[in-house]
Amino acid sequence: MTQHTPPPGPDAPGTASDGAEPHAAGSALPRRRSFLIGAGSGAAVTALAATGITAASRPPESTTAAPAPAPAVAFHGANQAGVYRPAAQQRQACFAAFRVLAKDRAELKTLLRTLTAKGATLSTGLRISDPVPAEDLPAVAGGPPPNSGVLGEDVPPDSFTMTVGLAASVFDNPAYGLAAKKPKGLTGMTVFPNDTPDPAWTGGDLLLQLCADSTDMIHYALRDITKATRGVLALQWRINGFHSAPRPSGSPRNLFGYKDGIVNLAQDDQLVWIGKDSGQPAWAVGGTFIVVRLIRMLVEFWDRVGLGEQDGMIGRHRATGAPLGGTTETDVPDYAHDPDGQTIPLDAHIRLANPRTKATDASRLLRRGYNYDLGVDLNGNLQAGLIFASYQRNIQDQFEATQLRLVNEPMTDYIEPFGGGYFIGLPGVADKHGFLGEGLFT
Amino acid sequence: MTDSLPAPAQTMDAALTAYRGYVAGKLDTLTGQVLTLKASIGNNDLAAARPQWLDAQLTWQEIGAAYGSFGDLGDAINGLPSGLPRGTADPGFTGLHRLEYGLHHGQGPAELAPVAATLYTDIGALRGKLPSLTVAASDLPIRCHEILEDSLRDNLSGNNDQGGGMALALTAADLHGTRVVLALMATLIDGLQPGYTARVSATLDRLDTALAATKANGRWPVWRAVPLSGRQPVTGALGAALEVLAYVPALFSTDD
Repeated sequence: MTQHTPPPGPDAPGTASDGAEPHAAGSALPRRRSFLIGAGSGAAVTALAATGITAASRPPESTTAAPAPAPAVAFHGANQAGVYRPAAQQRQACFAAFRVLAKDRAELKTLLRTLTAKGATLSTGLRISDPVPAEDLPAVAGGPPPNSGVLGEDVPPDSFTMTVGLAASVFDNPAYGLAAKKPKGLTGMTVFPNDTPDPAWTGGDLLLQLCADSTDMIHYALRDITKATRGVLALQWRINGFHSAPRPSGSPRNLFGYKDGIVNLAQDDQLVWIGKDSGQPAWAVGGTFIVVRLIRMLVEFWDRVGLGEQDGMIGRHRATGAPLGGTTETDVPDYAHDPDGQTIPLDAHIRLANPRTKATDASRLLRRGYNYDLGVDLNGNLQAGLIFASYQRNIQDQFEATQLRLVNEPMTDYIEPFGGGYFIGLPGVADKHGFLGEGLFT
Repeated sequence: MTDSLPAPAQTMDAALTAYRGYVAGKLDTLTGQVLTLKASIGNNDLAAARPQWLDAQLTWQEIGAAYGSFGDLGDAINGLPSGLPRGTADPGFTGLHRLEYGLHHGQGPAELAPVAATLYTDIGALRGKLPSLTVAASDLPIRCHEILEDSLRDNLSGNNDQGGGMALALTAADLHGTRVVLALMATLIDGLQPGYTARVSATLDRLDTALAATKANGRWPVWRAVPLSGRQPVTGALGAALEVLAYVPALFSTDD
């Protein structure tokens, strides 16, 4: 880079603006530069001085159509995306938990505005010719570009969704004054009898669930968001996951080789979104509780078990995904006519998880998990498993009730839950004027 | 942290001259500190030598000698064992970190006295060469940014740590070095971008606060012993400062 000695200060008339000229709104790089150093214009200067995350209150420009055929998932709506939207779960995901370093309520609010702007911009996609989003530090000639370039010049929508959750610790932090807004039942993550929680993979004040159809989009988005929130969000743990293609058809398989997610909640079941009559604080209506559990699967051990025993532990045939005794994955197990577990063992995973009784119907939950593959453990085994993510209107009545039924199921020998957390997934953002968690501040 | 900040310079040439004077003063201080350290090592008083090493190391950090700006002499004074065939046992591993290593790995005068003597000589040589060292005009703007990049990359990563565990103390000294350069450059920076120095300073203040909060009984703890909840405000504030500092070189750039 060529450097030059800047002209002397105020004594030399005109030199200050001359000095700023290389960065000014010129022809080659006009609008990207003009925000930062707009030829000495007072407005631009003020914008720079106030930038950082405070500038994020300006809603992002969303005038640009998607640059590529890859679909955009609507960011705005009554509920956040990434739960039911898009209907077909994306192929890639990142679950990242952050410590919130905002020093007070105002900084927390600014952070949520910044995240909102990022979520909206990344969902829509961004062209290099678009103005730099207000939540970014803008480009300066010779300076760092606002875009990492990982996706090339233009950022495609790539079915990107960002889903934000807050942990109980945010409501417990007196600096934010949110104690009265704390949702009922939002606790720290319960440690169940078969869990081995690792401090390196638990905790965090804020959850970001980023989903898209490609790994580079996930990487780009996380890098972009952390840059825009530097100093306010401290990344604490993160794990990337993948949602497999159907093999050969139907529901994708988990790393035990079994089709997973065959039975899932429809929105009509009304067990996911927090409703007006939920007894929860009004701000939380339209939100959902998010449970993330990082579950290692001891795949080498699993692979040394007979297929019949595997099928019995799951309650399904591995090849077809059909419940034992059935022929296709969509067959409904008939527990009423199998009271002693002759066909599907009483302690099979699918039977304990969802006994299909009137009493247990309300404990069903929405799952939208991802497989993960992390590397190697101390002894040369694969560190791989499942990022379990569930969405429900009540953690205790749904996730925990289900989990308690699964305590000591035969499959526990082959899995090790070691991380995750409980979060309140915020309600959706209605339009470009709103922001995530807005109701917390009213 | 140890002395007051210099007055802003009105031209880049004046800033470079003032900075050279600042470095000369620091090297004079360092010369005295290393003489003391050398004597303690010679007397086999290692308990005294350990904090004296830290004093000397912090003075070096305050110079803000980022990105190898003093060439071979800088490496001889502040080099690391990485990249050397025999690592910490390599004869090419010399200087302040070599002393840190020995003082925290059971070495005594037999190993360390020659290292201290060479260090004393090298500092003298650098001090003598200082008036003739040419510094590019781009040096100070880049230094504003990169001293603290080195804190993150080298100190807080643990890469620099040869047993002293003093990454926090070193980072605080780096912060001071950054403030010195920034103070010298304040008028020039604000001439290109009014108010920018104040904006940078606000992020540095937050880093100062976060660093200070890690102290226990007025002493710097070993960085890796600080719990995550105490490390996050430090790395968070440092990251926020770096994002803003990264624009300082660009203000002086003629790139298009």
